[in-house]
Amino acid sequence: MENAGNARHYLTARDAGLVSCTTCGRVHPGDHKTCLRCGAALSSRDTKSLQKVWAWWLAGIIAFVPANTYPMLKTATLGTETESTLLGGILELLHHGSVGIAAIVFFASIVIPASKFIAIAYLALGIGRPSRLSTHNRHVVYEVVEFVGRWSMIDVFVVAILTALVQLGSAASIHPGIAAVSFALSVAFTMLSAQSFDARLIWDADKDSP
Amino acid sequence: MTLPDLPEMDVAPAKRSPWRNLSFVWLVPILALVVSLAVAWQSYSNKGTLITVIFKDAAGITPKDTVIKFRDVIIGAVEDVNFTKDMSNVEVSARIHKDVAATLSPETLFWVVRPEVSARGISGLSTVLSGVYIDAAWTPIEDSTAREFNGLSETPLIRPGHEGTRILIRSKNGSSLVPGAPVFFRGMEVGQLDTPRLSDSGDSTDVEAFINAPFDRFLTTDSRFWNMSGFSVTLGPAGLDLNVASLGSLLTGGVAFENVVSGGGVVSDNTMFRLFDDETSARDSIFTSVSANSVTMSVIFKESVSGLASGAPVEYRGLRIGQVTSIGAFVVKTPFRSVVNMRALITIDPQSLGLEAEAGVDAIRSFIEKLVADGMRARLATTSIFSSALKIELADIRRAAPAKLEDDADGIPVIPSVKSDLPNFTATAEGVLQRVNNLPIEDVMNQAISLMASIEAIALAKGTQLAPDALLGLIEDTRSLIGKEETQAIPGELRGVIADLRSIVAELKDRGAVDQLSSALTSFDKASSDIATASGDLPKLIEDLRAIATKVKELKAEELIASVTRVMDSTDALIGTEGARSIPPALASALAEVQTSLRELREGGAIENTNATLASARDAADAVAKAAKNFPDVTAQLDSIMFKADALIASYGAKSTFNSETLDLLRELKTAAKSVSQLARTIERNPNSLILGR
Repeated sequence: MENAGNARHYLTARDAGLVSCTTCGRVHPGDHKTCLRCGAALSSRDTKSLQKVWAWWLAGIIAFVPANTYPMLKTATLGTETESTLLGGILELLHHGSVGIAAIVFFASIVIPASKFIAIAYLALGIGRPSRLSTHNRHVVYEVVEFVGRWSMIDVFVVAILTALVQLGSAASIHPGIAAVSFALSVAFTMLSAQSFDARLIWDADKDSP
Repeated sequence: MTLPDLPEMDVAPAKRSPWRNLSFVWLVPILALVVSLAVAWQSYSNKGTLITVIFKDAAGITPKDTVIKFRDVIIGAVEDVNFTKDMSNVEVSARIHKDVAATLSPETLFWVVRPEVSARGISGLSTVLSGVYIDAAWTPIEDSTAREFNGLSETPLIRPGHEGTRILIRSKNGSSLVPGAPVFFRGMEVGQLDTPRLSDSGDSTDVEAFINAPFDRFLTTDSRFWNMSGFSVTLGPAGLDLNVASLGSLLTGGVAFENVVSGGGVVSDNTMFRLFDDETSARDSIFTSVSANSVTMSVIFKESVSGLASGAPVEYRGLRIGQVTSIGAFVVKTPFRSVVNMRALITIDPQSLGLEAEAGVDAIRSFIEKLVADGMRARLATTSIFSSALKIELADIRRAAPAKLEDDADGIPVIPSVKSDLPNFTATAEGVLQRVNNLPIEDVMNQAISLMASIEAIALAKGTQLAPDALLGLIEDTRSLIGKEETQAIPGELRGVIADLRSIVAELKDRGAVDQLSSALTSFDKASSDIATASGDLPKLIEDLRAIATKVKELKAEELIASVTRVMDSTDALIGTEGARSIPPALASALAEVQTSLRELREGGAIENTNATLASARDAADAVAKAAKNFPDVTAQLDSIMFKADALIASYGAKSTFNSETLDLLRELKTAAKSVSQLARTIERNPNSLILGR
């Protein structure tokens, strides 16, 4: 490891000839194929993990494009139908002076999903390569990405609630746009991508590095 | 231990296909990509066709928000609003659905719908909240490539694509035609008017009207349009007539049509119709419309045609069969002088005569020829009591002078005319009163009064005092006669008087002649012979008178004079009686009534008493007519008494005061008799003439 801070070496289960169950956490000797406790399949390293990560990641990226270009909300007020995209809505909020809310929305809807993509890509690319971040820190990044993933659905959640509540006939009504579906899919794909990531691969970097 | 040099084994693992380890998860991004691309493609392909509409201004048009509707369905939205290059107009770019855009015809109308409040109601109210939108109307065509259109500044009243018939209405005055005013058929709104515009020549106003389907099938070439101005007030014989069509038409006016006659042809688009001022003229106009089949004839009047106007009706037995088209004067030169005659050109509609509409000119001509041969003549008549307008009446005249239909110099058949019934009077209500006024009643009265005065003078004359006593009997008889009931009725009375006179004559004869009368008798003889020469049919009377004369000679003068005095006294008394003073009582009351009527008419304003006057005039006329029945008798009696009295008086001597006064009396009597008989004749001919004036 070039990075001095990451010079420590950790003993992995694999080094110890053990394999742990990812489902229930029980540790087995390396030759076990199924978990003795829960019966889940055991494997020391998921070889197809990266493929899955990249596939879900790509799908998430693809879904993220229409989520930002197509309207998220269709607001019909007294016959006038307004369509607002994510960015358009943020700009409008800024225009009305709600900088705080604009910042929250911008952070939750644009920054977080975008940084998730970056983070997952960074982690996936970092497998088997030396990295400036220590393996430990990379694992923290992974933990954060996994934790934040579910909260990214807050946009979709707001749209769903608004759509359900604001159905006042011709006076006012809100309908979800294509972007809402795309955004939800994008978030879901990102979460799947993060979940597909076999975090144990991070630690192999230490072993592989001289 | 060293292994012999073995050939180096190829221990490189078998080349594994890079796809072998591919996860099925890769299907997910592929699917996502496909879906995303599909969505993108769909939204791109749905983007619609860009069109440009040029408006004068873009009031209320907002890019993205303002939609374009067709039949209230959104077909597109405005994308951008710009100015045209010369900044004179506004260019609105809009995306229209592809399929719809392919049908846009180059004449597509675009207009901005705004809230509008007019007399006909409020429109576009929804745009108050939703903002304006652009409405479009067109007749769809196929594979249109038109992409630039001119927008209208106002809502078009007649939109393409609506089912119906578009017609043109020509009016002399467009002031009452309001754009959007309704078109009514039997009170139902079936269409509306467009904006009126001046015709090219500038002498009329044209307005396009649109009759909605399916009502346009009621429209025929025989339809007549008239102006339904808000309301109409007519003051006529039936009183005040107020017509209000509907509140809407009160404010905006309107046009109504109806098929006055059936059987008109189908109306195609842009057919021209004439707008009439009111329903009556529209209905009357039907005669001008069938002029294609009508026949022009003329009537020549030698009298004044004042009151006859172009368009006046031509009636046959009260049915309108045509109208007067023009009136002109022309000079007829005779060897002695030139006479101006009036010629009225008339058109006669064969249909109203019961002939086929397509009946040829010859058929109509021969038909009318036959009518003329049967005594049909044209004459002027008044259209009503209350107007001085004249019409031409084709009436069957009994004992008409023979005449036939002849062509004039222009080849137009001339229907022979007769002098109108009452050419001297304008047939107005005033004329009726004038006629009543002009009856020789006053003459009769005056003559009766002067007759009375003459009789009185005779009665007071000295000579009368010396009448022979023989006349006393006459007076006695006369007195008894006066007492009798039939004295009240003049004919009987006069008959009695005559009888008495005869008896006097007989008495005179019995008593013997008067010597002093011999010269008078000679004159009487002369007079008698004069009468005999004058009227050869009275030889018997003359013989009688001669006989009387010879017998009178034998009478004594004093007795005669005394008798005459008494005759006169009793005659005076007779005259003094109510009945006698006013000759026949019926006539008297009639005259009194007429006089009352006249006085009423003169004193009170004509209008309020008109009805009462007419009623009493009718009564008067009836009374006069009743009385008039006796007039011939009266006249005859008067005549005969005159002859006899004449003879009697002549026997008194030509130069005595008595004689001359008596002659005056007789003259008065004669004039009176003449007047009475003239009145009687007038009334007898037509008692109703007093009322109706014809």
